[in-house]
Amino acid sequence: MADRLLFFLLISLAIAGIFVSRDALSKGSDVIIEVDGKPTYTLPLYTDRLLSVVGPHGDTLVEIQGGKVRVKEAHCRNQICVREGWVSRGVIVCLPNKLVIIVGGSNKYKKQGLDAITG
Amino acid sequence: MQLQDKHRVAILSAYALALHGFETLFPTPIPWLKPGFANIITLVALLLYGFRTALMVTLIRVVLASIFIGTFLGPAFILSTGGGLASVVAMGLSIKYFKNIFGTVGISLIGALFHNIAQLSLAYYFFIQRLEAVLIISPAILLIGSLTGIVNGIVSDILIKKLLKKETEKIQNVVHKTT
Repeated sequence: MADRLLFFLLISLAIAGIFVSRDALSKGSDVIIEVDGKPTYTLPLYTDRLLSVVGPHGDTLVEIQGGKVRVKEAHCRNQICVREGWVSRGVIVCLPNKLVIIVGGSNKYKKQGLDAITG
Repeated sequence: MQLQDKHRVAILSAYALALHGFETLFPTPIPWLKPGFANIITLVALLLYGFRTALMVTLIRVVLASIFIGTFLGPAFILSTGGGLASVVAMGLSIKYFKNIFGTVGISLIGALFHNIAQLSLAYYFFIQRLEAVLIISPAILLIGSLTGIVNGIVSDILIKKLLKKETEKIQNVVHKTT
């Protein structure tokens, strides 16, 4: 009988899937943009978007594309945030503009899963 | 349909309904998680009395249970019906074509797998519409579904063997033990 084979196949598939999805989960799915210490924008990481954030040194252009975030343009002197490039998890900081971009780490979407299923 | 068949469908539906209702009362770590003991009856009906009986038992069970529990035509009812139908069709087809390959436990596993696939797809299309959420949750559901599928398959196997021996008195005992 192939019952055992099927069982082990399903179990190993499920366990592999759990690890893969955990990996995907830890990437985070939200982009939080803080201006002057206040969370101003919360955006989904997987929706492409170009956003202009107003700061003390003019507008900063934040680009979200394909699960990654970068600062495309900033009117500050050292351009550290622009040079950081594309970020898929972690933080981009622009001190002159008091701008903090946090990628991932939000529980908002994880909790949005299933509310109730009954067989 | 003969009178005997009607009685059979009625009795099997009653058993399935009782198990389904009992599961709803039974506390589980996650609210929507259920062991699916009612599939034991579906599987027994399928293997002993054929596809039509099993299909009828499943439909009667799903509809009546949702009316009793109070989820008729709600989200849980849609998921329940879809899962039940997918599982009975998948098990019926696998009995028809792979009877020599899979035993009772294997067929139960296939049923559990398609039950979960159908429910996840329905949940995605109607309620969640977030592919990441479904993909994240599906491996866990697959794992739990396989485990309960094994348990249900073993119980069904025992039940079928007992039934085939025509030890009618023991049937109720087995059902009591498994609940």
